[in-house]
Amino acid sequence: MSRTIVVKNPRTSGKDEDKAQIPSQDELPSGSSGAKTTNQIISEFRALIKDPIKLDEAVNYLYETLVDDAAVGIFIETRQLQKTGSLTALEGTVEETNDMCDLPDCDIFGMSTAEKTAKCCCPNCERMVAAVRFAPHLQTCLGLGRSSSRAALRRLTVSSRSSSTSTGGGQANEKSTDDEDWSLDSRPGKSTKNSRNKGSKKNQKNKLK
Amino acid sequence: MTVSNTVDQYTVLTGDRSKIKDLLCNRLTECGWRDEVRLLCRNILMEKAVAGAVTSNSNLTLEQLITEVTPKARTLVPDAVKKELLMKIRTILTENETEGTDNHDDDEDDEDENGTEDN
Repeated sequence: MSRTIVVKNPRTSGKDEDKAQIPSQDELPSGSSGAKTTNQIISEFRALIKDPIKLDEAVNYLYETLVDDAAVGIFIETRQLQKTGSLTALEGTVEETNDMCDLPDCDIFGMSTAEKTAKCCCPNCERMVAAVRFAPHLQTCLGLGRSSSRAALRRLTVSSRSSSTSTGGGQANEKSTDDEDWSLDSRPGKSTKNSRNKGSKKNQKNKLK
Repeated sequence: MTVSNTVDQYTVLTGDRSKIKDLLCNRLTECGWRDEVRLLCRNILMEKAVAGAVTSNSNLTLEQLITEVTPKARTLVPDAVKKELLMKIRTILTENETEGTDNHDDDEDDEDENGTEDN
């Protein structure tokens, strides 16, 4: 292909902007591989087209050139991607095709359907408890939860009544008053919400006293 | 002057070459040819990479590979696309020839316009 760089030349016609024009074109014999004027090109082409065989040849040639250009472009692009490693990055690695798993005790992905319970050892009662139930178990075990406090209170009042000694009782009484306050507060009739003290027992004790 | 040179020069001059090339690229992308050729290139490159690693013949030039790829790529073009493009190229080349005769030009221009609208 004889594409050449643009050179502005006052002798050229308007169409020529993509072709260099050598002023000494008259010296060149026509039909040589040197630069030609636009008109020469056009006239040559027109002459060519008139012949149907040549026209077919021209059409096929042009088509093939363009298809080859496109194919080579794609090839070079792929090659560059491969060289820079982007091809593997773009396409990724082939994953194992996971066929359907049909074993017993397994779902179709091959994961076992048995319950996976992690067991924890409670530090208080030293029992093996399921991890899911560990926190609630601790609540009741340590006597920190809501209903566990009532259970703890019951136990304490029972134990305080049964063992009503001065040393043990004093402490137990204090505890029981605290617990009584607490339990009183937790009754639906008297709620700490009305007294607006965010559940603190500071003034309650004084009031009751 | 050879046919090829003349045609190339003329089509570049009139800007027809880029027009035809754009049309071709669009059609080929639409029909999936581009993806097929990409796959083909990838396969060839993989084969060469494997073969190169085994036989230590890793200095295959681009040109050699291209001469392998191009005939296969040509066969991959669907017939419909090929025919359409040959027709279009023929029309574009001949419409410039008959610039003198208005009727013929008008008919061909109309055909072209209709063709592009349908597509």
